[in-house]
Amino acid sequence: MIATREPGRSRLRQELPREAEPPRLLGSLARWLWLGVGVLALLLFFSLASDDWFTIVNYCLIAAIATLALNLLSGYTGQISLGLAFFMGLGGYTAALLGGNPPAGPLDPWGLGLPVFIWLPAAGLVAALVGALIGPSALRLRGFYLGIVTLALVFIGNYLFRNLSFITGGPQGRNFPVPAFGGFSLDQQNSILGVALTSGQQYFLLILVVLLLSALFVYNLSRSRVGRAMRAVRDHEVGAAIMGVNLFEVKMGAFVLSSFLAGVAGALYVSYARYVIPDYWSLSLSIQFVAAIIIGGIADVWGSILGAAFVFALPQVIDYFSLLPPSTGGGGLSSGDLNALLYGLLIIVFLLFEPGGVIGLVRRLRPAGPRPQTLGTSAGAGAGAGAGAETAKEGGESIEVVDLQQHVPGPGEERGSGGTGAS
Amino acid sequence: MSERPHHSNLASDNHQINPSEPLLRVEQLSVRFAGVRALSEVSFVVWPGELFAVIGPNGAGKTSLFNVLSRVYQPEAGQVIFAGQDLLRLKPHQVARAGIARTFQNMGQFPTMTVLEYLLLGRHTRMHSGILRAGLFIGPTRREEWENRAYCLHILDLLNLKEVRDRPLGSLPYGLQKRADLARALAMEPRLLLLDEPVAGMSLEETEEIAAIILEIKEQLGITQILVEHDMALVMGLADRVLVLDFGRVIAEGRPAEVQANPAVIKAYLGEESEQLPAPADDLPAVSEN
Repeated sequence: MIATREPGRSRLRQELPREAEPPRLLGSLARWLWLGVGVLALLLFFSLASDDWFTIVNYCLIAAIATLALNLLSGYTGQISLGLAFFMGLGGYTAALLGGNPPAGPLDPWGLGLPVFIWLPAAGLVAALVGALIGPSALRLRGFYLGIVTLALVFIGNYLFRNLSFITGGPQGRNFPVPAFGGFSLDQQNSILGVALTSGQQYFLLILVVLLLSALFVYNLSRSRVGRAMRAVRDHEVGAAIMGVNLFEVKMGAFVLSSFLAGVAGALYVSYARYVIPDYWSLSLSIQFVAAIIIGGIADVWGSILGAAFVFALPQVIDYFSLLPPSTGGGGLSSGDLNALLYGLLIIVFLLFEPGGVIGLVRRLRPAGPRPQTLGTSAGAGAGAGAGAETAKEGGESIEVVDLQQHVPGPGEERGSGGTGAS
Repeated sequence: MSERPHHSNLASDNHQINPSEPLLRVEQLSVRFAGVRALSEVSFVVWPGELFAVIGPNGAGKTSLFNVLSRVYQPEAGQVIFAGQDLLRLKPHQVARAGIARTFQNMGQFPTMTVLEYLLLGRHTRMHSGILRAGLFIGPTRREEWENRAYCLHILDLLNLKEVRDRPLGSLPYGLQKRADLARALAMEPRLLLLDEPVAGMSLEETEEIAAIILEIKEQLGITQILVEHDMALVMGLADRVLVLDFGRVIAEGRPAEVQANPAVIKAYLGEESEQLPAPADDLPAVSEN
């Protein structure tokens, strides 16, 4: 009906229309500004924070990676999972087995002493492999049933972790490897380019890089063919299948990638904590991540990071400033109790009043206005509408194209037409 | 759209269609749910480029027929041959790849998706990036995304939806949602388009618009369409041939004028005794014109 291509122009690479360009990651001034603010904040934190703060933030960033993993599976793809702790544990023990020190005595757990650039990816890969093996049977189930099966994984895992003491150290736990790059071992103070860095600072850098890569990956996925298919599967399985989405393939992809990220997070956790008992990988750990995606925001990368901060850093921050005793055997309100209370309350409040989570709140409070990319489009859209009317005339006698504006009231439309008028 | 935009690699499969062969052949199709016959031995063919309508009173089996064609229902007996292949051997998600697109009778499945995202979802089978490439979003993936966004914008342009491209589907009025759904089905570049009550619940004005679009799809794009619709005026004005179902059986088939004059059709629609005596399906005489 309409030839958008101007005659005489060849099909060169540059020919794809600007308005169809996928939004760039740093495609607007605002985003560059945010990046600047972020980098500045990180630099300030990095140079000023005390060791205690590094401990809090490092754990929080590790938790953010695991929260991303769960959000990918549950938030984006809609598959309920309580098994995150299991996959984290798998990653943790893979790291221990591959990277741990070779046993000194016959009772010591095994370790191959391999370097970090082997054990860290391997932790993810082993978790992903186990996910790929479990997925085909687990993902036949939906909703609560999948939740129950993944819950069973946590208990099976707990049993295995307690009993495979040659890897896990048994109920008493074991030591875990420290990431080391060449001569630099992250548990000691090292100087890089003449700057002396504490152990906490070095871990911070490593964890931050892994988190940024994971977040970028999940974000890219979410705006691509696979991410759209995931959301379609979450919203309406039959509808998704009618559009040609292979439900099994999409769910498996989400499950395996989620397991991979959980495994990496588990490996980072154990290498930072240095000592972990099998009981750590429990149902309550899994549930904390469920709380994190609900509080932070379903199907949102920033929501995952904020959710992790709320659930995993806020209690420590409260402890840090708290006048309450950290734990009490007797009566009274301990800070742990206070935290538990706070979460229960937060989950209920968010489920009832802001299903979009903290990030939904933030995005809603953000000053209304056309995003930079929509501004450009609305001008194009005006031209498009004109062309559409033209087509209608060509098409045949019975064709009448009604002005769109009549049908589309609302603030978004107002802004759109304003933009058109101005251009 | 004599010219498809930009996409030599995305060219549709329309060329493979042999005009002397029917695009769709349905033979002796029967569907039964817990004893209730939704379809009984329904047979018909649809020719390439045709606008074929299926009408009938409520519960006549129209939507059941669509659900068989999109592999949501498993028929009890019968055969469906689409473009030379046995449709009943495909899984639901393979139907789209085979070239059948379907619009939804009711919208609301994907409320948070923007219109543009919804069209891109429709292009799922025309795109190829898997998890790893999509996660990196470099080179080929970015280009694929760009090309397909361009294609979708073109379709949005055709259906006058460009201004709402970034609006979530759930925030649009019903008529626009249904139009976006039609746009999504077109974005799939189907050989056969199944339209499930495209104007249900629409105003007269919106109905005329959709009618115009359906004609354009037929005349400009040459896409074969099967239209299920209650709006008799729309069907009689648009369709090349009409199939009338009543209680799951074919009671008439032919050109709109022929069908309208058919006594069995008049009876099914106006009721006569069947109004007072709702007869079970098996008691009805199977009047067929073919």
